[in-house]
Amino acid sequence: MKLDLTYVVIRTHARIANLLNHQQTQRLTESKDVQEFLDRLAETSYGRISIEGAEVVPIALERVFYEKFLERVLKIVDLTPQKIGDFLQTYYYLRFETLNLKRIIRGKFSGLTSEKIMESLVPINPYLVPSYKELADSASVGEAVNRLKGTPYSEVITKLKLYEQYEAIWPLELALNHVFAKAIFEAVKTLPERDRRIVYNIVEYEADIENFLVAMKQRQGSKSGANLEEMFPATYSISLEKLREVIETKDLKKVIESLGESYAKVLSPIYTGDVALIRTGLRRHKYETVTSGKAINAFGFNVIMAYLVYSEIEKDNLVGVGWGKAQGVSSQDLMKYVVIPRPS
Amino acid sequence: MTLSQMSGVRPTKGYLMEMKRRIGFIERGCEFLKLKRDHLAKELSASLDILKGRRKLLLNNLKEAYDALTAAYISLGPTEVDSQASSVKSALQLEVLPRSVMGVRYPYVKIISKPQITTDLDITLARAAEKIYEILEELVQLAEYEARAERIADELGKTNRKVNALENTVIPNYKQVIKFIGSKLDEESLEELVRMKRIGGALASRRK
Repeated sequence: MKLDLTYVVIRTHARIANLLNHQQTQRLTESKDVQEFLDRLAETSYGRISIEGAEVVPIALERVFYEKFLERVLKIVDLTPQKIGDFLQTYYYLRFETLNLKRIIRGKFSGLTSEKIMESLVPINPYLVPSYKELADSASVGEAVNRLKGTPYSEVITKLKLYEQYEAIWPLELALNHVFAKAIFEAVKTLPERDRRIVYNIVEYEADIENFLVAMKQRQGSKSGANLEEMFPATYSISLEKLREVIETKDLKKVIESLGESYAKVLSPIYTGDVALIRTGLRRHKYETVTSGKAINAFGFNVIMAYLVYSEIEKDNLVGVGWGKAQGVSSQDLMKYVVIPRPS
Repeated sequence: MTLSQMSGVRPTKGYLMEMKRRIGFIERGCEFLKLKRDHLAKELSASLDILKGRRKLLLNNLKEAYDALTAAYISLGPTEVDSQASSVKSALQLEVLPRSVMGVRYPYVKIISKPQITTDLDITLARAAEKIYEILEELVQLAEYEARAERIADELGKTNRKVNALENTVIPNYKQVIKFIGSKLDEESLEELVRMKRIGGALASRRK
């Protein structure tokens, strides 16, 4: 049921108010175990979650949080005007499908059974490929990739030679990233001009940080033997030249500072060695980007985008906290990696 | 040695000489065992010092690795971590070979191949994997030192028991036997002397 954008935006504002706030998130991280975490979560808008009979509790919880997030995306897609709805569906479904294809390829590479591979997928219906099961049933990585022929992912087939040459799946994963970025930039063109900036900001920034992290890995001696053009098919504010500097420089701090304050802030945990905090910084950057976008235009697409970004951050938080509680990780350690979309 | 145990002892000069030869051999063996015991004690003490140092280091590194792994799981989610981890094909391969110190055999672990952990992994997970791999190496070495210390301690205990048994039981028993045979032989020779004297006295009185 498609509704008027202003009405959807007003409803989205109300949905934002329903997200977990700082106090609730903190309370969840302070749970003594998974059961208490679930009990406390039941007091929020999530309600009672059942994971009875789950083989691995954190993985079952992750699946539930993904499903909840996808429900939110679908509800929004359902309500928003056609063009925005189509873009949002492409943005999220393509992202999760790319992730699923990577997991299928990894599964085939490591010889996992079809059932195991299917269990590891994000719970969505196939979006641009006919069937995940068919891909997971393939006898080899080559066969699975060749089955992408005729889909928008067919570009990945051309990277099979590199896969065979290096006996590694990174060329296939990078090709999938490239397909995703291209498709998003194509899809964003359907949005009105004023709404595109926020999407470009998020996608380009994320791609830049991911490229930087891949370059950091090369720096650590993980020489893949590939040239930089192959390794970074799409670059934005962090150019290929800068990425080369990241790999070769002795003074990394100088290179990071030359990338500008916004990047330097997110990448600063590299000095302390806690690289996971870079992803937390990236989430925070996304949060700040959509929040400022929402402030500029509180009655347009930016609000919907902000809600979905906040929801995804919340999903990531809950997945992390759920895993942490199953492992007995302290609240203090968990809160380091949590970005809270809604202040108290 | 009790009187009943002495009953099997033949109080002859030949037996006495055999006993003296044996006790000489046992005392030399006991000296060697004492030397072995001292050397093993020295080796054990050195191994324990190394173990203590390595354990402390391992605990620190274990904390760092656990933190890195926790960060990777929180950052990527458990399914993604499992999926990426499954793409690491090459495993850690070890070979266990025997080594020996003072005749005490202990296992020596040789690393044949290391897993290639960074190519396809996310940097967060690659960092955690590197730290865990470092710990695995340390754990392998620690296990080697623990096995070495354990076996040396075992052998030290056995050697110590042998030395104690020789010093406190076997050698004193032999000495007692030697003393017993010696006194028996002395007694016999005294009796013989008295008998000879009596026979001599009897023969002299008959001649008169």
